[in-house]
Amino acid sequence: MREREDHGERIHRRIWELLPWYVNGSLAERERQQVETHLAGCAGCQAEERACRRTAVAVSGAGEMSPSPHPAQFRRLLDRIEQEELPRRGRLAALLQATPRPLRGALLAQAAMILLLVGALAWGAGRPAPAPAAPSPSAPGVTYRTLSDPVARPARVLRLRLMFSPRATEREVREILLGIRCEIVAGPSPLGVYTVEVPATGDPVGIVLARLRTESQVVFAEPAAGDGATSPGRPPEGLSGR
Amino acid sequence: MPSNDELTLLRRVATKDRRAFEALYHLYYRRLFGYLLKLTRRADLVEEVLNDVMLAIWKGAASFDGRSRPSTWIFGIAYHKALKAIARRPQEPQGTAEESAEPVDTEEPERLAVRRELASVLGRAIGALSPEQRAVVELTYYYGLAYQEIAEIVGCPVNTVKTRMFHARRRLKELLPELGVSGYAG
Repeated sequence: MREREDHGERIHRRIWELLPWYVNGSLAERERQQVETHLAGCAGCQAEERACRRTAVAVSGAGEMSPSPHPAQFRRLLDRIEQEELPRRGRLAALLQATPRPLRGALLAQAAMILLLVGALAWGAGRPAPAPAAPSPSAPGVTYRTLSDPVARPARVLRLRLMFSPRATEREVREILLGIRCEIVAGPSPLGVYTVEVPATGDPVGIVLARLRTESQVVFAEPAAGDGATSPGRPPEGLSGR
Repeated sequence: MPSNDELTLLRRVATKDRRAFEALYHLYYRRLFGYLLKLTRRADLVEEVLNDVMLAIWKGAASFDGRSRPSTWIFGIAYHKALKAIARRPQEPQGTAEESAEPVDTEEPERLAVRRELASVLGRAIGALSPEQRAVVELTYYYGLAYQEIAEIVGCPVNTVKTRMFHARRRLKELLPELGVSGYAG
């Protein structure tokens, strides 16, 4: 008699433990049937099942307070990954690893071509310029340069002009600006245009612009007029491989 | 997304495919954000822990053996990273997660007020549970997971999951009447 009571108590306790998972519908078929058989004759477990259902409704109705990811957050994560991986392998190796295999050869060839061009320009700059055939008497001391003259631009910053959506919050604007590591140097203008400077040593301007243009809160992103980083109307550099 | 597709993504992440990693990040961001917020009750920790989780996935995707679902493996990482973060920075939050991350809502004001009140009361009650008990309650009622899967996520035997739920139910029964709600405990 006592043994039967103990056995009944053990079953009751086991079913009572399973009720949350009976309520959420995740029990295996055999366990579900055991729970239903016991529930039919146990008022205590019936009350507990109702309580579990109320809790389940309350918990699931509490709502998922999850925002969508902001592109700047993913970029920060990638930055962190790069920081962690750099000591183990060089930046070039990391770049190559991240590049799809078919593009790696093209990237290496492009890098070799750039090195060749830089070498040729440096060699040309070191040679004495040929004397002009007839110096202009009208403008003594003035040096004229044509657009094709190989004038090295000093390493400096790139200026961009940005406009944000009127719905962009101050935090979103800050996140976007931090994401490209720029500084505001002018603006906002009456039309809401900011002029920002991005270090020329960072990502190619084309990449920076491409990033900005994927931001839903950025409605306009172009190099500032006269900066010469990319010409308006032309596809920005650095996008060919993307 | 079916778990086979998630498995494919994970396999690609294991080969350091950043596009796959970005896809996985977007696929899991909201689920992980909600889970971590519910588990830690610390809006200030969520972003940092979420990045810890994604970093662990990036580094460890090759070690995923495919014996469990990808989501089970990922939520298991999230659980352990969250507990570590709570232990590392144990200070009390300024407000509950519900108060600090109020969602924008367009419901009628009265219904909205009732819903928020319930969510707030329950949120405070669940917030009073230990993180281990809270994880079991949320994974059961919010995510609808089986106890075996929860055991895998939190890395403990199934009996421990049942025991944690047992204590959580008792604690909620004690707490909810105190918070002015009757008949909600389970």
